[in-house]
Amino acid sequence: MNAPAVALEVRNIARNFGGVVALRDVTFSVREGEVVGLIGPNGAGKSTLFEIVSGNIRPSGGRVAYFGRDCTTMASHLRRRAGMCRTFQKVRLFESMTVRQNISVAASQCLPKGRDLGEEVNNILAQMRLEHQAERRPSELTLADRKRVEIGRAIAGHCRLLMLDESLSGLTHDEAEHLIDEIMQLNRARGITVIVVEHVLSVLAAMVQRLVVLHNATVIADGTPSEVAHDPVVIEAYLGTKQKALR
Amino acid sequence: MEAALPESARGGVAKPSSEADARRRRAFIYGLIAFLLVASLPFLPVNNYIIAAVVRALIFISLGQAWNVVAGIGGLLSLGHGVFLGIGCYTTGILFNQYGIPPWLGVWVGAVLSLLVALVMGSMTLRMRGVFFALATVAASLAMVQISRHFVDLTGGADGLALKFFGNSWWAAQSRTPAPFLYASLAFVTLYYWITRWILNSKLGLEMQAVRDDEVAAAAAGVAVFRTKMLGLLVSAAMTALAAGLYMQFYMAIDPEAAFGLSQAIQLQLPALIGGLGTAWGPIIGGAVMIFLSEVTNWGGTKIGVSGVDILVYGLMLLVVVLYAPKGIVGSVLRNAMKGADR
Repeated sequence: MNAPAVALEVRNIARNFGGVVALRDVTFSVREGEVVGLIGPNGAGKSTLFEIVSGNIRPSGGRVAYFGRDCTTMASHLRRRAGMCRTFQKVRLFESMTVRQNISVAASQCLPKGRDLGEEVNNILAQMRLEHQAERRPSELTLADRKRVEIGRAIAGHCRLLMLDESLSGLTHDEAEHLIDEIMQLNRARGITVIVVEHVLSVLAAMVQRLVVLHNATVIADGTPSEVAHDPVVIEAYLGTKQKALR
Repeated sequence: MEAALPESARGGVAKPSSEADARRRRAFIYGLIAFLLVASLPFLPVNNYIIAAVVRALIFISLGQAWNVVAGIGGLLSLGHGVFLGIGCYTTGILFNQYGIPPWLGVWVGAVLSLLVALVMGSMTLRMRGVFFALATVAASLAMVQISRHFVDLTGGADGLALKFFGNSWWAAQSRTPAPFLYASLAFVTLYYWITRWILNSKLGLEMQAVRDDEVAAAAAGVAVFRTKMLGLLVSAAMTALAAGLYMQFYMAIDPEAAFGLSQAIQLQLPALIGGLGTAWGPIIGGAVMIFLSEVTNWGGTKIGVSGVDILVYGLMLLVVVLYAPKGIVGSVLRNAMKGADR
Protein backbone atom coordinates (compact mmCIF):
# COMPACT_ATOMS: atom_id res chain seq x y z
CA MET A 1 0.00 0.00 0.00
CA ASN A 2 1.30 3.49 -0.90
CA ALA A 3 2.15 5.87 1.92
CA PRO A 4 -0.04 9.00 2.03
CA ALA A 5 1.27 11.95 0.05
CA VAL A 6 3.16 14.74 1.82
CA ALA A 7 0.59 17.51 2.18
CA LEU A 8 2.96 20.14 3.54
CA GLU A 9 6.70 20.29 3.56
CA VAL A 10 8.49 23.07 5.38
CA ARG A 11 12.18 22.98 4.54
CA ASN A 12 14.89 25.09 6.28
CA ILE A 13 12.56 28.03 6.81
CA ALA A 14 14.17 31.14 8.30
CA ARG A 15 12.75 34.54 9.02
CA ASN A 16 14.38 37.61 10.52
CA PHE A 17 12.69 40.84 11.51
CA GLY A 18 15.61 43.27 11.45
CA GLY A 19 18.04 41.81 13.95
CA VAL A 20 15.46 39.54 15.58
CA VAL A 21 15.50 35.90 14.50
CA ALA A 22 11.89 34.71 14.47
CA LEU A 23 12.55 31.36 12.76
CA ARG A 24 15.77 29.48 12.14
CA ASP A 25 16.16 26.38 9.98
CA VAL A 26 12.65 25.07 10.64
CA THR A 27 12.00 21.77 8.91
CA PHE A 28 9.07 19.38 9.21
CA SER A 29 6.45 17.75 7.02
CA VAL A 30 2.83 16.71 7.37
CA ARG A 31 1.31 13.75 5.53
CA GLU A 32 -2.14 13.82 3.94
CA GLY A 33 -4.87 12.96 6.44
CA GLU A 34 -2.69 13.57 9.52
CA VAL A 35 -3.67 15.72 12.48
CA VAL A 36 -0.53 17.46 13.69
CA GLY A 37 -0.09 19.80 16.64
CA LEU A 38 2.34 22.69 16.61
CA ILE A 39 3.26 23.82 20.11
CA GLY A 40 5.72 26.14 21.73
CA PRO A 41 5.88 28.93 24.27
CA ASN A 42 5.02 32.53 23.41
CA GLY A 43 7.57 33.95 21.01
CA ALA A 44 8.67 30.54 19.79
CA GLY A 45 7.72 31.48 16.22
CA LYS A 46 4.47 29.53 15.75
CA SER A 47 2.46 32.46 14.42
CA THR A 48 5.27 33.60 12.11
CA LEU A 49 5.49 30.07 10.75
CA PHE A 50 1.71 30.06 10.18
CA GLU A 51 1.90 33.36 8.34
CA ILE A 52 4.72 32.07 6.15
CA VAL A 53 2.93 28.83 5.32
CA SER A 54 -0.30 30.68 4.48
CA GLY A 55 1.54 33.24 2.34
CA ASN A 56 1.13 36.42 4.35
CA ILE A 57 4.84 36.72 5.12
CA ARG A 58 7.74 35.79 2.84
CA PRO A 59 10.47 33.73 4.51
CA SER A 60 14.04 35.05 4.60
CA GLY A 61 15.19 31.59 3.53
CA GLY A 62 13.98 28.05 2.92
CA ARG A 63 10.94 26.80 1.05
CA VAL A 64 7.37 25.63 1.52
CA ALA A 65 5.89 22.87 -0.63
CA TYR A 66 2.20 21.99 -0.78
CA PHE A 67 1.44 18.52 -2.16
CA GLY A 68 4.84 18.51 -3.83
CA ARG A 69 4.48 21.93 -5.43
CA ASP A 70 6.76 24.76 -4.32
CA CYS A 71 4.49 27.54 -3.10
CA THR A 72 7.04 29.69 -1.24
CA THR A 73 6.26 32.77 -3.34
CA MET A 74 2.63 31.96 -4.16
CA ALA A 75 0.04 34.61 -3.16
CA SER A 76 -2.12 33.70 -0.18
CA HIS A 77 -5.40 33.77 -2.11
CA LEU A 78 -4.00 31.29 -4.65
CA ARG A 79 -2.92 28.96 -1.82
CA ARG A 80 -6.44 29.13 -0.45
CA ARG A 81 -7.94 28.32 -3.83
CA ALA A 82 -5.59 25.34 -4.01
CA GLY A 83 -7.10 24.09 -0.75
CA MET A 84 -4.70 25.47 1.87
CA CYS A 85 -7.04 26.93 4.49
CA ARG A 86 -6.52 28.70 7.79
CA THR A 87 -8.10 30.39 10.77
CA PHE A 88 -6.64 33.24 12.80
CA GLN A 89 -5.46 33.50 16.39
CA LYS A 90 -7.89 36.40 16.91
CA VAL A 91 -11.06 35.51 15.00
CA ARG A 92 -11.26 37.59 11.81
CA LEU A 93 -14.71 37.54 10.26
CA PHE A 94 -16.32 39.93 7.79
CA GLU A 95 -18.25 41.88 10.39
CA SER A 96 -20.63 43.67 8.02
CA MET A 97 -21.78 40.37 6.50
CA THR A 98 -24.05 37.63 7.71
CA VAL A 99 -22.74 34.19 8.60
CA ARG A 100 -24.04 32.89 5.26
CA GLN A 101 -22.22 35.62 3.35
CA ASN A 102 -19.00 34.97 5.28
CA ILE A 103 -19.08 31.38 4.09
CA SER A 104 -20.29 32.35 0.60
CA VAL A 105 -17.24 34.57 0.04
CA ALA A 106 -14.86 31.62 0.38
CA ALA A 107 -17.15 29.11 -1.31
CA SER A 108 -17.60 31.38 -4.34
CA GLN A 109 -13.81 31.62 -4.78
CA CYS A 110 -12.80 28.06 -4.14
CA LEU A 111 -15.65 25.81 -5.27
CA PRO A 112 -14.62 23.38 -8.02
CA LYS A 113 -16.54 23.73 -11.28
CA GLY A 114 -19.76 21.79 -11.47
CA ARG A 115 -20.63 22.06 -7.79
CA ASP A 116 -23.55 24.19 -6.65
CA LEU A 117 -22.60 27.23 -4.56
CA GLY A 118 -25.86 27.46 -2.59
CA GLU A 119 -25.75 23.76 -1.79
CA GLU A 120 -22.14 23.99 -0.61
CA VAL A 121 -22.96 26.94 1.68
CA ASN A 122 -25.93 25.07 3.14
CA ASN A 123 -23.78 21.97 3.67
CA ILE A 124 -21.14 23.94 5.53
CA LEU A 125 -23.79 25.65 7.67
CA ALA A 126 -25.23 22.24 8.56
CA GLN A 127 -21.82 20.66 9.18
CA MET A 128 -20.77 23.48 11.52
CA ARG A 129 -24.23 23.53 13.18
CA LEU A 130 -24.82 27.13 12.08
CA GLU A 131 -28.13 26.82 10.21
CA HIS A 132 -29.98 28.88 12.80
CA GLN A 133 -27.31 31.58 12.84
CA ALA A 134 -27.07 31.87 9.05
CA GLU A 135 -28.70 35.30 8.76
CA ARG A 136 -27.02 36.76 11.83
CA ARG A 137 -23.99 39.00 11.82
CA PRO A 138 -20.81 37.95 13.64
CA SER A 139 -21.29 40.57 16.37
CA GLU A 140 -24.44 38.72 17.46
CA LEU A 141 -22.63 35.40 17.98
CA THR A 142 -20.84 33.78 20.91
CA LEU A 143 -17.10 33.24 20.68
CA ALA A 144 -17.62 29.52 20.06
CA ASP A 145 -19.99 30.25 17.17
CA ARG A 146 -17.64 32.87 15.74
CA LYS A 147 -14.87 30.26 15.75
CA ARG A 148 -17.18 27.79 14.02
CA VAL A 149 -18.01 30.38 11.35
CA GLU A 150 -14.31 30.97 10.81
CA ILE A 151 -13.67 27.25 10.42
CA GLY A 152 -16.71 26.96 8.13
CA ARG A 153 -15.37 29.79 5.98
CA ALA A 154 -11.95 28.17 5.98
CA ILE A 155 -13.17 24.81 4.65
CA ALA A 156 -15.83 26.18 2.26
CA GLY A 157 -15.39 25.28 -1.39
CA HIS A 158 -12.21 23.29 -1.43
CA CYS A 159 -9.99 22.41 1.52
CA ARG A 160 -7.20 19.84 1.73
CA LEU A 161 -5.09 21.32 4.50
CA LEU A 162 -6.66 23.16 7.44
CA MET A 163 -4.44 25.21 9.72
CA LEU A 164 -6.07 26.20 13.00
CA ASP A 165 -4.43 28.98 14.98
CA GLU A 166 -5.43 28.60 18.65
CA SER A 167 -9.03 27.85 17.72
CA LEU A 168 -9.71 26.34 21.14
CA SER A 169 -8.45 29.22 23.24
CA GLY A 170 -11.07 31.19 25.14
CA LEU A 171 -13.63 28.38 24.95
CA THR A 172 -15.18 26.55 27.89
CA HIS A 173 -14.28 22.89 28.36
CA ASP A 174 -17.55 21.74 26.74
CA GLU A 175 -17.27 24.18 23.85
CA ALA A 176 -13.69 23.08 23.22
CA GLU A 177 -14.70 19.40 23.25
CA HIS A 178 -17.51 20.04 20.77
CA LEU A 179 -15.19 21.93 18.48
CA ILE A 180 -12.58 19.16 18.66
CA ASP A 181 -15.28 16.67 17.69
CA GLU A 182 -16.19 18.80 14.70
CA ILE A 183 -12.56 19.20 13.64
CA MET A 184 -11.97 15.44 13.92
CA GLN A 185 -15.15 14.87 11.92
CA LEU A 186 -13.78 17.14 9.17
CA ASN A 187 -10.55 15.16 9.23
CA ARG A 188 -12.38 11.83 8.94
CA ALA A 189 -15.32 12.72 6.69
CA ARG A 190 -13.63 15.14 4.30
CA GLY A 191 -10.12 13.70 4.57
CA ILE A 192 -8.78 17.12 5.51
CA THR A 193 -5.23 17.27 6.84
CA VAL A 194 -5.16 19.38 10.02
CA ILE A 195 -2.40 21.40 11.68
CA VAL A 196 -3.34 22.83 15.08
CA VAL A 197 -1.44 25.48 16.98
CA GLU A 198 -2.36 25.33 20.65
CA HIS A 199 -1.07 26.04 24.10
CA VAL A 200 -3.20 23.45 25.90
CA LEU A 201 -1.09 20.36 25.42
CA SER A 202 -3.45 18.05 27.30
CA VAL A 203 -6.17 18.88 24.76
CA LEU A 204 -3.83 18.44 21.81
CA ALA A 205 -2.46 15.15 23.09
CA ALA A 206 -5.89 13.54 22.76
CA MET A 207 -6.47 15.00 19.35
CA VAL A 208 -3.28 14.83 17.30
CA GLN A 209 -1.19 12.00 15.94
CA ARG A 210 2.03 14.00 15.99
CA LEU A 211 3.44 17.01 17.76
CA VAL A 212 6.02 19.45 16.44
CA VAL A 213 7.59 21.55 19.19
CA LEU A 214 9.06 24.98 18.44
CA HIS A 215 11.36 26.68 20.88
CA ASN A 216 13.62 29.68 20.41
CA ALA A 217 12.71 29.92 16.71
CA THR A 218 13.53 26.34 15.81
CA VAL A 219 12.08 22.82 15.98
CA ILE A 220 13.31 20.94 19.04
CA ALA A 221 11.08 17.85 18.81
CA ASP A 222 8.85 16.06 16.32
CA GLY A 223 7.04 12.85 17.30
CA THR A 224 3.96 11.30 18.84
CA PRO A 225 2.50 13.07 21.88
CA SER A 226 3.93 10.39 24.11
CA GLU A 227 7.42 10.67 22.57
CA VAL A 228 7.35 14.44 22.88
CA ALA A 229 6.16 14.31 26.48
CA HIS A 230 9.10 12.08 27.36
CA ASP A 231 11.68 13.99 25.35
CA PRO A 232 14.20 15.43 27.83
CA VAL A 233 14.95 18.42 25.59
CA VAL A 234 11.27 19.34 25.47
CA ILE A 235 10.84 18.83 29.18
CA GLU A 236 13.77 21.07 29.94
CA ALA A 237 12.99 23.73 27.35
CA TYR A 238 9.25 24.04 27.45
CA LEU A 239 7.20 21.67 29.55
CA GLY A 240 9.00 21.82 32.85
CA THR A 241 7.92 18.37 34.03
CA LYS A 242 6.18 15.46 32.40
CA GLN A 243 3.37 15.58 34.92
CA LYS A 244 2.76 19.25 34.32
CA ALA A 245 2.73 18.69 30.58
CA LEU A 246 0.09 16.02 30.50
CA ARG A 247 -2.05 17.33 33.30
CA MET B 1 -17.87 39.41 -16.14
CA GLU B 2 -18.75 38.83 -12.52
CA ALA B 3 -21.77 36.66 -12.02
CA ALA B 4 -24.66 37.44 -9.72
CA LEU B 5 -24.75 35.18 -6.70
CA PRO B 6 -27.51 32.62 -6.31
CA GLU B 7 -30.16 33.60 -3.79
CA SER B 8 -29.02 30.96 -1.31
CA ALA B 9 -25.50 32.37 -1.21
CA ARG B 10 -26.48 35.98 -0.60
CA GLY B 11 -26.94 37.41 2.84
CA GLY B 12 -29.87 39.71 3.29
CA VAL B 13 -31.95 38.08 0.60
CA ALA B 14 -31.03 34.50 1.29
CA LYS B 15 -34.25 33.60 3.04
CA PRO B 16 -36.82 36.12 1.89
CA SER B 17 -39.58 36.40 4.42
CA SER B 18 -42.96 37.88 3.60
CA GLU B 19 -42.10 40.82 5.88
CA ALA B 20 -38.87 41.51 4.03
CA ASP B 21 -40.72 41.17 0.72
CA ALA B 22 -43.28 43.70 1.89
CA ARG B 23 -40.55 46.14 2.92
CA ARG B 24 -38.78 45.67 -0.40
CA ARG B 25 -42.04 46.34 -2.24
CA ARG B 26 -42.60 49.43 -0.09
CA ALA B 27 -39.09 50.75 -0.84
CA PHE B 28 -39.69 50.17 -4.55
CA ILE B 29 -43.04 52.00 -4.45
CA TYR B 30 -41.51 55.00 -2.59
CA GLY B 31 -38.72 55.08 -5.16
CA LEU B 32 -41.18 54.94 -8.03
CA ILE B 33 -43.27 57.76 -6.57
CA ALA B 34 -40.16 59.92 -6.14
CA PHE B 35 -39.09 59.10 -9.70
CA LEU B 36 -42.50 60.03 -11.15
CA LEU B 37 -42.68 63.19 -9.06
CA VAL B 38 -39.28 64.38 -10.28
CA ALA B 39 -40.07 63.41 -13.88
CA SER B 40 -43.31 65.40 -13.80
CA LEU B 41 -41.70 68.60 -12.46
CA PRO B 42 -41.57 70.37 -15.86
CA PHE B 43 -45.35 69.85 -16.14
CA LEU B 44 -46.09 71.24 -12.70
CA PRO B 45 -46.26 74.93 -11.76
CA VAL B 46 -42.61 74.95 -10.75
CA ASN B 47 -40.09 77.54 -11.91
CA ASN B 48 -36.77 76.75 -13.60
CA TYR B 49 -34.80 77.61 -10.47
CA ILE B 50 -36.38 74.71 -8.59
CA ILE B 51 -35.86 72.37 -11.54
CA ALA B 52 -32.20 73.45 -11.76
CA ALA B 53 -31.78 72.79 -8.04
CA VAL B 54 -33.21 69.29 -8.52
CA VAL B 55 -30.82 68.72 -11.44
CA ARG B 56 -27.91 69.79 -9.22
CA ALA B 57 -29.08 67.31 -6.59
CA LEU B 58 -29.39 64.51 -9.14
CA ILE B 59 -25.93 65.20 -10.58
CA PHE B 60 -24.39 65.13 -7.10
CA ILE B 61 -26.32 61.97 -6.31
CA SER B 62 -24.83 60.34 -9.43
CA LEU B 63 -21.33 61.49 -8.53
CA GLY B 64 -21.88 60.41 -4.93
CA GLN B 65 -23.09 57.00 -6.06
CA ALA B 66 -19.93 56.61 -8.15
CA TRP B 67 -17.76 57.45 -5.11
CA ASN B 68 -19.89 55.13 -3.00
CA VAL B 69 -18.85 52.18 -5.16
CA VAL B 70 -15.15 52.53 -4.41
CA ALA B 71 -15.37 53.92 -0.87
CA GLY B 72 -18.65 52.60 0.50
CA ILE B 73 -18.64 49.12 -0.96
CA GLY B 74 -14.90 48.73 -1.53
CA GLY B 75 -13.63 50.61 1.52
CA LEU B 76 -11.04 52.58 -0.47
CA LEU B 77 -11.01 56.11 0.85
CA SER B 78 -10.57 58.21 -2.27
CA LEU B 79 -10.05 61.81 -1.13
CA GLY B 80 -9.30 63.02 -4.62
CA HIS B 81 -12.14 61.67 -6.69
CA GLY B 82 -12.34 65.09 -8.30
CA VAL B 83 -9.52 63.84 -10.56
CA PHE B 84 -12.03 61.72 -12.46
CA LEU B 85 -14.65 64.47 -12.40
CA GLY B 86 -12.11 66.93 -13.78
CA ILE B 87 -10.83 64.58 -16.46
CA GLY B 88 -14.42 63.91 -17.57
CA CYS B 89 -15.32 67.61 -17.66
CA TYR B 90 -12.15 68.88 -19.31
CA THR B 91 -12.01 66.10 -21.89
CA THR B 92 -15.62 66.64 -22.93
CA GLY B 93 -15.16 70.41 -23.00
CA ILE B 94 -11.81 70.47 -24.85
CA LEU B 95 -12.95 67.96 -27.47
CA PHE B 96 -16.10 70.00 -28.06
CA ASN B 97 -14.57 73.47 -28.09
CA GLN B 98 -11.34 72.66 -29.93
CA TYR B 99 -12.29 69.77 -32.20
CA GLY B 100 -16.06 69.99 -32.52
CA ILE B 101 -16.57 66.50 -31.13
CA PRO B 102 -20.03 66.31 -29.55
CA PRO B 103 -20.23 65.51 -25.83
CA TRP B 104 -22.06 62.27 -26.65
CA LEU B 105 -18.70 60.98 -27.91
CA GLY B 106 -16.36 63.13 -25.83
CA VAL B 107 -17.71 61.76 -22.57
CA TRP B 108 -16.55 58.25 -23.54
CA VAL B 109 -13.06 59.55 -24.26
CA GLY B 110 -13.12 61.13 -20.78
CA ALA B 111 -14.16 57.80 -19.29
CA VAL B 112 -11.31 55.98 -21.04
CA LEU B 113 -8.79 58.60 -19.85
CA SER B 114 -10.14 58.28 -16.31
CA LEU B 115 -9.76 54.52 -16.50
CA LEU B 116 -6.13 54.93 -17.57
CA VAL B 117 -5.39 57.35 -14.72
CA ALA B 118 -7.17 55.06 -12.25
CA LEU B 119 -5.16 52.12 -13.57
CA VAL B 120 -1.87 53.97 -13.01
CA MET B 121 -2.92 55.25 -9.56
CA GLY B 122 -4.19 51.83 -8.54
CA SER B 123 -1.13 49.97 -9.80
CA MET B 124 1.10 52.19 -7.69
CA THR B 125 -0.90 52.23 -4.48
CA LEU B 126 -3.43 49.40 -4.13
CA ARG B 127 -0.91 46.77 -3.03
CA MET B 128 -0.08 48.91 -0.01
CA ARG B 129 -2.13 48.84 3.14
CA GLY B 130 -3.16 51.89 5.13
CA VAL B 131 -3.48 55.47 3.98
CA PHE B 132 -1.31 55.32 0.88
CA PHE B 133 -4.21 55.12 -1.55
CA ALA B 134 -5.96 58.09 0.10
CA LEU B 135 -2.74 60.13 0.00
CA ALA B 136 -2.12 59.17 -3.63
CA THR B 137 -5.56 60.44 -4.64
CA VAL B 138 -4.89 63.76 -2.88
CA ALA B 139 -1.50 64.00 -4.60
CA ALA B 140 -3.09 63.27 -7.98
CA SER B 141 -5.68 66.01 -7.35
CA LEU B 142 -3.00 68.56 -6.51
CA ALA B 143 -1.02 67.56 -9.59
CA MET B 144 -4.08 67.90 -11.80
CA VAL B 145 -4.77 71.41 -10.46
CA GLN B 146 -1.28 72.46 -11.57
CA ILE B 147 -1.51 70.65 -14.92
CA SER B 148 -4.86 72.24 -15.74
CA ARG B 149 -3.48 75.68 -14.82
CA HIS B 150 -0.36 75.13 -16.92
CA PHE B 151 -1.88 74.20 -20.28
CA VAL B 152 -3.74 77.46 -20.75
CA ASP B 153 -4.43 76.97 -24.47
CA LEU B 154 -6.29 73.74 -23.81
CA THR B 155 -7.85 74.25 -20.39
CA GLY B 156 -8.18 78.01 -20.09
CA GLY B 157 -5.75 77.97 -17.17
CA ALA B 158 -6.87 79.33 -13.83
CA ASP B 159 -9.87 81.05 -15.49
CA GLY B 160 -11.23 77.70 -16.54
CA LEU B 161 -12.98 76.41 -19.62
CA ALA B 162 -16.38 77.59 -20.82
CA LEU B 163 -18.30 75.62 -23.43
CA LYS B 164 -19.25 77.34 -26.66
CA PHE B 165 -22.98 77.83 -26.44
CA PHE B 166 -25.23 76.74 -29.30
CA GLY B 167 -28.61 77.31 -27.63
CA ASN B 168 -31.05 74.42 -27.72
CA SER B 169 -29.13 71.69 -29.50
CA TRP B 170 -29.32 67.90 -29.26
CA TRP B 171 -26.03 67.60 -31.12
CA ALA B 172 -24.24 69.80 -28.57
CA ALA B 173 -26.33 68.40 -25.69
CA GLN B 174 -27.21 71.94 -24.66
CA SER B 175 -30.43 73.61 -23.62
CA ARG B 176 -31.64 77.01 -22.54
CA THR B 177 -33.90 75.39 -19.92
CA PRO B 178 -33.00 72.82 -17.27
CA ALA B 179 -35.79 70.36 -18.17
CA PRO B 180 -33.74 68.16 -20.58
CA PHE B 181 -31.02 67.91 -17.95
CA LEU B 182 -33.62 66.83 -15.44
CA TYR B 183 -34.38 63.73 -17.50
CA ALA B 184 -30.74 63.06 -18.27
CA SER B 185 -29.73 63.32 -14.63
CA LEU B 186 -32.73 61.23 -13.55
CA ALA B 187 -31.62 58.56 -16.00
CA PHE B 188 -28.11 58.69 -14.51
CA VAL B 189 -29.43 58.34 -10.95
CA THR B 190 -31.65 55.40 -11.93
CA LEU B 191 -28.87 53.69 -13.87
CA TYR B 192 -26.29 54.21 -11.11
CA TYR B 193 -28.74 52.95 -8.49
CA TRP B 194 -29.21 49.72 -10.45
CA ILE B 195 -25.47 49.39 -11.05
CA THR B 196 -24.86 49.73 -7.30
CA ARG B 197 -27.63 47.23 -6.53
CA TRP B 198 -26.16 44.84 -9.07
CA ILE B 199 -22.66 45.19 -7.59
CA LEU B 200 -23.97 44.64 -4.05
CA ASN B 201 -25.68 41.41 -5.13
CA SER B 202 -22.85 40.15 -7.32
CA LYS B 203 -19.79 38.08 -6.61
CA LEU B 204 -17.70 41.22 -7.16
CA GLY B 205 -19.75 43.06 -4.51
CA LEU B 206 -19.23 40.28 -1.99
CA GLU B 207 -15.50 40.32 -2.71
CA MET B 208 -15.33 44.11 -2.37
CA GLN B 209 -17.15 44.03 0.97
CA ALA B 210 -14.88 41.24 2.20
CA VAL B 211 -11.80 43.27 1.28
CA ARG B 212 -13.32 46.35 2.92
CA ASP B 213 -13.95 44.43 6.16
CA ASP B 214 -10.61 42.64 6.38
CA GLU B 215 -8.01 42.34 3.62
CA VAL B 216 -6.02 39.55 5.25
CA ALA B 217 -9.12 37.47 5.97
CA ALA B 218 -10.38 38.12 2.43
CA ALA B 219 -7.14 36.76 0.96
CA ALA B 220 -7.42 33.78 3.33
CA ALA B 221 -10.90 33.20 1.88
CA GLY B 222 -9.45 33.10 -1.63
CA VAL B 223 -10.28 36.67 -2.72
CA ALA B 224 -7.76 38.29 -5.08
CA VAL B 225 -7.45 41.49 -3.05
CA PHE B 226 -5.53 43.64 -5.53
CA ARG B 227 -7.73 42.67 -8.47
CA THR B 228 -10.88 43.34 -6.45
CA LYS B 229 -9.71 46.79 -5.35
CA MET B 230 -8.64 47.64 -8.89
CA LEU B 231 -11.99 46.60 -10.37
CA GLY B 232 -13.85 48.71 -7.79
CA LEU B 233 -11.67 51.72 -8.55
CA LEU B 234 -12.06 51.34 -12.31
CA VAL B 235 -15.84 51.02 -12.14
CA SER B 236 -16.05 54.07 -9.88
CA ALA B 237 -13.67 56.15 -12.04
CA ALA B 238 -15.65 55.39 -15.19
CA MET B 239 -18.96 56.17 -13.46
CA THR B 240 -17.56 59.49 -12.19
CA ALA B 241 -16.19 60.51 -15.58
CA LEU B 242 -19.47 59.69 -17.35
CA ALA B 243 -21.49 61.69 -14.82
CA ALA B 244 -18.91 64.47 -15.26
CA GLY B 245 -20.02 64.76 -18.87
CA LEU B 246 -23.49 65.65 -17.65
CA TYR B 247 -22.00 68.02 -15.05
CA MET B 248 -20.10 69.85 -17.79
CA GLN B 249 -23.12 70.18 -20.07
CA PHE B 250 -25.27 71.50 -17.24
CA TYR B 251 -22.81 73.96 -15.68
CA MET B 252 -21.25 74.83 -19.09
CA ALA B 253 -17.91 75.64 -17.46
CA ILE B 254 -15.18 74.14 -15.34
CA ASP B 255 -12.08 75.50 -13.63
CA PRO B 256 -9.20 73.81 -11.78
CA GLU B 257 -10.65 74.36 -8.31
CA ALA B 258 -14.18 73.26 -9.27
CA ALA B 259 -12.75 70.13 -10.88
CA PHE B 260 -9.86 69.03 -8.72
CA GLY B 261 -10.18 71.16 -5.59
CA LEU B 262 -10.54 69.70 -2.12
CA SER B 263 -13.96 71.26 -1.49
CA GLN B 264 -15.29 69.63 -4.65
CA ALA B 265 -13.83 66.28 -3.58
CA ILE B 266 -15.59 66.62 -0.22
CA GLN B 267 -18.88 67.48 -1.93
CA LEU B 268 -18.60 64.29 -3.97
CA GLN B 269 -18.32 62.29 -0.76
CA LEU B 270 -21.16 63.95 1.14
CA PRO B 271 -24.18 62.20 -0.48
CA ALA B 272 -22.87 58.76 0.47
CA LEU B 273 -21.51 59.84 3.86
CA ILE B 274 -24.77 61.52 4.86
CA GLY B 275 -27.08 58.96 3.28
CA GLY B 276 -25.22 55.79 4.15
CA LEU B 277 -21.96 54.31 2.86
CA GLY B 278 -22.13 51.06 0.95
CA THR B 279 -25.88 51.21 0.35
CA ALA B 280 -27.68 51.85 -2.95
CA TRP B 281 -30.23 54.20 -1.39
CA GLY B 282 -27.72 56.13 0.75
CA PRO B 283 -26.32 58.55 -1.85
CA ILE B 284 -29.84 59.22 -3.18
CA ILE B 285 -31.21 60.20 0.21
CA GLY B 286 -27.96 61.92 1.25
CA GLY B 287 -27.72 63.92 -1.97
CA ALA B 288 -31.36 65.03 -1.76
CA VAL B 289 -30.99 66.13 1.87
CA MET B 290 -27.70 67.88 1.09
CA ILE B 291 -28.95 69.97 -1.83
CA PHE B 292 -32.30 70.73 -0.15
CA LEU B 293 -30.63 72.08 3.00
CA SER B 294 -28.02 73.93 1.00
CA GLU B 295 -30.66 75.63 -1.19
CA VAL B 296 -32.82 76.56 1.80
CA THR B 297 -29.89 78.02 3.72
CA ASN B 298 -28.55 79.85 0.64
CA TRP B 299 -32.00 81.35 0.15
CA GLY B 300 -32.08 82.35 3.83
CA GLY B 301 -28.52 83.65 3.59
CA THR B 302 -29.41 85.82 0.60
CA LYS B 303 -32.29 87.32 2.56
CA ILE B 304 -29.96 88.39 5.35
CA GLY B 305 -27.09 89.26 3.03
CA VAL B 306 -24.68 86.42 3.95
CA SER B 307 -23.21 84.24 1.20
CA GLY B 308 -21.60 80.79 1.21
CA VAL B 309 -23.80 79.41 3.97
CA ASP B 310 -24.13 76.10 2.10
CA ILE B 311 -20.48 75.21 2.82
CA LEU B 312 -21.15 75.78 6.52
CA VAL B 313 -24.24 73.59 6.27
CA TYR B 314 -22.26 70.79 4.58
CA GLY B 315 -19.73 70.90 7.40
CA LEU B 316 -22.40 70.85 10.08
CA MET B 317 -24.25 67.98 8.36
CA LEU B 318 -21.06 65.97 8.21
CA LEU B 319 -20.38 66.66 11.88
CA VAL B 320 -23.88 65.58 12.90
CA VAL B 321 -23.65 62.40 10.82
CA VAL B 322 -20.23 61.46 12.19
CA LEU B 323 -21.35 62.07 15.78
CA TYR B 324 -24.90 60.72 15.80
CA ALA B 325 -25.39 58.55 12.72
CA PRO B 326 -22.03 57.19 11.56
CA LYS B 327 -23.76 54.73 9.24
CA GLY B 328 -25.65 57.56 7.55
CA ILE B 329 -29.37 58.09 7.28
CA VAL B 330 -30.07 54.74 5.65
CA GLY B 331 -27.65 52.86 7.87
CA SER B 332 -28.75 54.40 11.17
CA VAL B 333 -32.05 56.25 11.05
CA LEU B 334 -33.87 54.14 8.46
CA ARG B 335 -32.22 50.85 9.42
CA ASN B 336 -35.31 49.34 10.99
CA ALA B 337 -37.71 50.69 8.39
CA MET B 338 -35.60 49.27 5.57
CA LYS B 339 -34.55 46.05 7.25
CA GLY B 340 -34.80 43.24 4.72
CA ALA B 341 -35.27 45.63 1.84
CA ASP B 342 -32.37 46.03 -0.58
CA ARG B 343 -30.57 49.01 0.83
